[in-house]
Amino acid sequence: MQLRIENLSKTYPNGTRALRDVSLSIPTGMYGLLGPNGAGKSTLMRVLATLQDPDEGTVQFGDIDVLQQKSELRRTLGYLPQEFGLYPKVSAIRLLDHFAVLEGILNRGERKAVVESLLKHTNLWDARKVKVGEYSGGMRQRFGIAIALLGDPKLIIVDEPTAGLDPEERVRFLNLLAELGRDSVVILSTHIVDDVAELCSRMAIINKGQIMLEAEPPAAVEELRGRVWRKLIDHEQLEEHRARYHVLSNRLNLGRSAVRVLSDSLPGEGFEAVEPDLEDVYFSTLRPPAEASEQVA
Amino acid sequence: MQRTLALTAFELRYYLRRISTWAYFAVLVAVSFLMMSVFGGAVTGATASIGGTDGTVFVNSPFVLMTLISIFSIFGTLVVAAVSGNAGYRDFGEKMHPLVFTTTTSKTEFIVSRFVGITIVNAVVLSGIGAGLWLGSLSPFVRPELFGPNRLVAYLQPYLLIVIPNVLFASAIFFSMALLTRKRLPHYLGGAGMLLGYLIAGSLGGDLERKWIGVLVDPFGGSAFGLVTEYWTPIEKNTQILGLEGWLLWNRLLWVAVAVAIVAVAATRLRFSQSAGEGRKRRVADESEASVPLVVATRIELPPTERTFGWRADMAQLRALTTQGFREVILSPYFFAILMASALFLVMSAMQLETIFGTRTWPMAWKVIEVLGGSYGLFVVILLTLYSGELVWRERDLKLDQIVDSTPTRSWVAFASKLIALCAVVLILLVVVTFAGLLTQSVLGFFRFELGLYMQKLFGMQLIDYVLLAIFSLAVHTVVNHKYTGHFLLILFYVGIDLLPLMGIEHSLWRYGSDLGQSYSDMNQHGWFLDPFMWFKAYWAGFAILLAVLSNLLWPRGVDGRIRGRLSEAKLRARTASLALGCVGGFLAVGAGGYVFYNTNVLNEFTTSVQAERAAVAYETTYKQYEDLPQPRITAVSLEVDLYPREGDVSARGTYRFINRTEVPIPAIHVLIDDGAEVRDLTFAGGAEMTHEDLAYAYRIFELTQPLQPGQESTLTFDLFYGQNGFAHSLQNQVVENGTFVNSGVLPSFGYAPGGELSLDRTREKYGLEPKARMADLDDEVARNDNYISRDADWVDFEVVLSTSADQIALAPGYIQREWEEDGRRYYHYAMDAPILNFFSFLSARYEVVRDSWNDVAIEVYYHPGHEFNLDRMVDGVKKLLEYFSREFSPYQHRQMRILEFPRYASFAQSFPNTVPYSESIGFIARVGEDDIDYPFYVTAHEVAHQWWAHQVIGGNLQGSTVLSETLAQYSALMLMEQEFGADKIRRFLAFELDNYLQGRSFETKKEVPLLRVENQPYIHYRKGSLIMYAIRDAIGEDAVNRALANLLDEWAFQGPPYPTSRALLEALLAETPDDLKAWVSDLFEHIVIYDNRATAATARPIEDGRYEVTLTFESRKLLAGEQGEETEAILDDPIDIGVFDADENPLYFEKLRIDSSMTEITVVVDGLPARAGIDPYNKLIDRFPDDNDTRVEIATQP
Repeated sequence: MQLRIENLSKTYPNGTRALRDVSLSIPTGMYGLLGPNGAGKSTLMRVLATLQDPDEGTVQFGDIDVLQQKSELRRTLGYLPQEFGLYPKVSAIRLLDHFAVLEGILNRGERKAVVESLLKHTNLWDARKVKVGEYSGGMRQRFGIAIALLGDPKLIIVDEPTAGLDPEERVRFLNLLAELGRDSVVILSTHIVDDVAELCSRMAIINKGQIMLEAEPPAAVEELRGRVWRKLIDHEQLEEHRARYHVLSNRLNLGRSAVRVLSDSLPGEGFEAVEPDLEDVYFSTLRPPAEASEQVA
Repeated sequence: MQRTLALTAFELRYYLRRISTWAYFAVLVAVSFLMMSVFGGAVTGATASIGGTDGTVFVNSPFVLMTLISIFSIFGTLVVAAVSGNAGYRDFGEKMHPLVFTTTTSKTEFIVSRFVGITIVNAVVLSGIGAGLWLGSLSPFVRPELFGPNRLVAYLQPYLLIVIPNVLFASAIFFSMALLTRKRLPHYLGGAGMLLGYLIAGSLGGDLERKWIGVLVDPFGGSAFGLVTEYWTPIEKNTQILGLEGWLLWNRLLWVAVAVAIVAVAATRLRFSQSAGEGRKRRVADESEASVPLVVATRIELPPTERTFGWRADMAQLRALTTQGFREVILSPYFFAILMASALFLVMSAMQLETIFGTRTWPMAWKVIEVLGGSYGLFVVILLTLYSGELVWRERDLKLDQIVDSTPTRSWVAFASKLIALCAVVLILLVVVTFAGLLTQSVLGFFRFELGLYMQKLFGMQLIDYVLLAIFSLAVHTVVNHKYTGHFLLILFYVGIDLLPLMGIEHSLWRYGSDLGQSYSDMNQHGWFLDPFMWFKAYWAGFAILLAVLSNLLWPRGVDGRIRGRLSEAKLRARTASLALGCVGGFLAVGAGGYVFYNTNVLNEFTTSVQAERAAVAYETTYKQYEDLPQPRITAVSLEVDLYPREGDVSARGTYRFINRTEVPIPAIHVLIDDGAEVRDLTFAGGAEMTHEDLAYAYRIFELTQPLQPGQESTLTFDLFYGQNGFAHSLQNQVVENGTFVNSGVLPSFGYAPGGELSLDRTREKYGLEPKARMADLDDEVARNDNYISRDADWVDFEVVLSTSADQIALAPGYIQREWEEDGRRYYHYAMDAPILNFFSFLSARYEVVRDSWNDVAIEVYYHPGHEFNLDRMVDGVKKLLEYFSREFSPYQHRQMRILEFPRYASFAQSFPNTVPYSESIGFIARVGEDDIDYPFYVTAHEVAHQWWAHQVIGGNLQGSTVLSETLAQYSALMLMEQEFGADKIRRFLAFELDNYLQGRSFETKKEVPLLRVENQPYIHYRKGSLIMYAIRDAIGEDAVNRALANLLDEWAFQGPPYPTSRALLEALLAETPDDLKAWVSDLFEHIVIYDNRATAATARPIEDGRYEVTLTFESRKLLAGEQGEETEAILDDPIDIGVFDADENPLYFEKLRIDSSMTEITVVVDGLPARAGIDPYNKLIDRFPDDNDTRVEIATQP
């Protein structure tokens, strides 16, 4: 199974161009969609989840034409939107059962088994009788993934699932996702680089509605090997460095700023070569040298 | 303070810059303008009037403006709800509240500024009502004759008295609820609560002694306005500017105080914190955190599942979604609140089960269902509106929509589940009504439950209506896809659907969900209403199916709410099933609608009000010329009438014998026949040629071969058939399956009938016709030659062979001669042994009979089995009246008296010769308690009295004629009641009569006239007649009055033409009146006399022997009113009661004194401790303020 996105464009009535001629090819496995807020990730996700029609382009999943055969796609789709609520007064086990019916799992025994299994795997078993309105953010997020995984979906789309989770919850959540979605196309949209770095075999970086990069994370990191440099500077020097170098990021470090700079050769005094990481890939993609003057924390 | 002002100014700017504010304003201006145009006669086809504008009241009179603005301000509350709710909710909605609450603004500043801000904004927006009305009055299209001078104060006054307090109160409610709950739903409920007060006020309005409760609980002030102005005469309506006084003042004060209190409570309860709920809400700790390793080592395998798609899945998902939707509704605390409120309302309604003269009826199942189910309808409609919106928006409100939308559940399942859930909610409500009904019946000690009827009415007919509305509401919310707009449109729909007929769109096929009405009768059950009901519902079901299909196609799925996206999505969804269902709906709508149209407009004639007016105009202009043409008089009527109850048909055959009583030959006879008749034969004995036949007005002119010479007799034989073809838009309820009641209207008559002319002068003016006198002048000697019952006959011989289906008894005036069965039908031959008025009735039903007798008079009551409650009272009434009349006046002219029950399609009793048809709704089911007014007895006495007053003495066809029949029948019934039940009951009865008279004159459309000149105006000849006759009797004594009446009978029984006039009565009375009272009695008959009696103070001083000297200070004025109610002061020198009472209301002193204008004080000595004293304390005289006639007696301490 493979998801092929071709020439997708979408412009909102207010003129925002959320997607510009996006083409991607997404194989089985975890696929990271990385981009800053407002880059068009959610629009793309919603298009893939049949919730929004693009102005142009096609999306093909296996032999399903996603934009035309919506109901066919929904049968094999698991979708977790970025922000969602639940019927507050229903217990988790009842609600998951409800969604299992909506997914077409009609056999009572099977439904019971899969609901129980999902609740156990998402660690909600002990809280299964609690009304979901009383769940914490992490629990709700895991419950969301349980819903998304109902019915053995072949296409799983999770939109910013880790936003708002604490680090532990985040890790647990991503593990779960990786485990459960092993045989499916899993698209994980996020603006947290680590999410992708840890889990995804392939990734794309999107900004302002355009795909800036599509790659396998290790390969992309390899590309930068030997080209990323780090230097500890005072805050006052930041502007000057920004002007002079292609600064990828800066981070506070013991009262000073640690800047990372992209350069084919040693950029100057005080710089040391560092191992590139995915974050470097991300920032180097987002910011071509010319406009690399934005503040990023 | 300064900061509060600044914040308020900010609020004002905020709202005044919003487009919606001005959109609301514009809508109010437009709607008010439109309504002013409609009432002002600018819309062709509209025949609407309000508050007497069909009579002499101006459309822009202070009274009508007040009425209109009051009504509109209720709908303006919707706007207030939107604006105020927004003011309370907006910070939460936009998640701004943390920012707002952490500024240095204090809570009080925040609330006060915002509340003042929205109140001002709302007041500004609602000023659009007055502005729109004013603009409407200036429109060039209105009929200027309907308008008086435009006075600014008439527009401002309602604004100050009604609108602004309403704005304050409504703003307070909506603002506080939104602020405290931080949700939108409750503020809709605030609106429902206000409506509840309004409804309760309405349901209490009919109760004379409890009017004030209704007046206070109405938060909109309309009821108070109604009570303050209930006796206003047309001239007062046109000129008087209402002050803030009386009940209106108390009502306004109460609700402004409540508004302030609500805001104050909101201020103390509002917590300036970030979340209202979070403090309370329990969050479950995520216990898994510590115990679970961060990386899951084992491979997870989910158990295999089989997925099902297709109809089996659809059904399962439908069930799941329906259950969920239903739970979402009923688990909401507001639903429970509404349920409780509605239960409260049902209890209120149940207590009010229609009363007549304060006497209740038995809680028959149909009655309970109608009252509870009917008044509850509004709750159901509110709930449907509210929860259709909530259900459609539920997932989106929860932000669950994207998850649900991406499941493989088909879109139609979503809509269908909402619909079924909504219907299930309706079912719950209907179950509540059922239980409330059964409970009401039980508590009232009545155990004839008729569960089948509950099923039919509530779970059959009403449920169909509600399902239609449920589909409509869901469709509106789905298609419009904006919650508030959806609600607004729905309310507009509910209001508009009732306004359509006023705008001239009168056919029910135009009004979604409507039918031809329904009225359940114990006798005739659903009658003719059921068939058209079903066809209409089938027609609307077709529409509903189309709406449902449309909603399914446009059901918002995904995040793109714009119509373009939804339309292209709809194209994808439009599969065979949708199209097929759409076709079914289309066929049903076209088929059933076509069938309805065929029935109402092809088989039968459909006439709008305007068409009817035009027809009346054409009739008058064409045939009025023949009005005074000499025509013969009918002298004998011999009939064969066949009633076909099951078919709704009547056949009337017979022979008229007639005579030329004029002094000239009659060459042509003008024959009028009801235009529904199929004329099979019309043959004049001497031969005649039909020279004119106008089928539209059924006007035929026969040129006699030989003119009818003076004194010559001849005959007409006729054969008429009235067949019922399908159903007409206005259903006939005369020939019905059980309880047929047909009168002489089915027979031919001679000569032009002026009754077909337009009577209202303003309507006449619209068509260029001259104003018309309602009746001939009292001194018109020519008009005296006709009696007011029929112009083509005097006293006639009568016989009829009446037939009906075999299972029924058929009755007509006369004595039974023979009774037989033939061809499966029953035949009855009735004949009269003496001449009677040309006025007959034919009834048929499956009757039970109770028989009794008084002397040689057979008394029979024909009643519907199950309606045995008051048979004794009726028989008793007949006996007592016969006894009283035979003793006091003259013997009864017949040997039998029969009371015949007929269905509640009309609610009157009517006296025919020795026969009284009597509606099932006005006595048969009365529940007369120990202290109640026994109106079955009273109605019976009144009708039997007509055997003298109408069937012996009948007035000429001119002013004052009904005094001789109605006023005297009313007086006779009063005397009998007093004899049976005591003066105390009569006083209560007369209190109702006074109220009815004063209200009646307030609605006069032409002119009020003195009793002597009454023009068949019920409020005068019944109500005022009772009061005047009783007052005269009180002054000159029963014996004197009865002597006068006996003399009247002696002189005028069975006389005419010329027929007596009201002068005969006045003369007879004056002949028995002492000289010093003659002028007073004449005044009461010849003028519209209004007294203004008022006790201003009363003090008592103890004197020796435990006696007291009581001094009563009073004011007494006598006013004479003109045709429109204009009053002039008259010289007072009349007999008026002065009374002093002890604490138990026993009179210590009670004398009729001669009071003149100079007297202001009177001192009397009484034998006990006085408690109250007054002038005319029993309200025997007509007084617009009857409540101030007595006062508490202050006891002076020192001797």
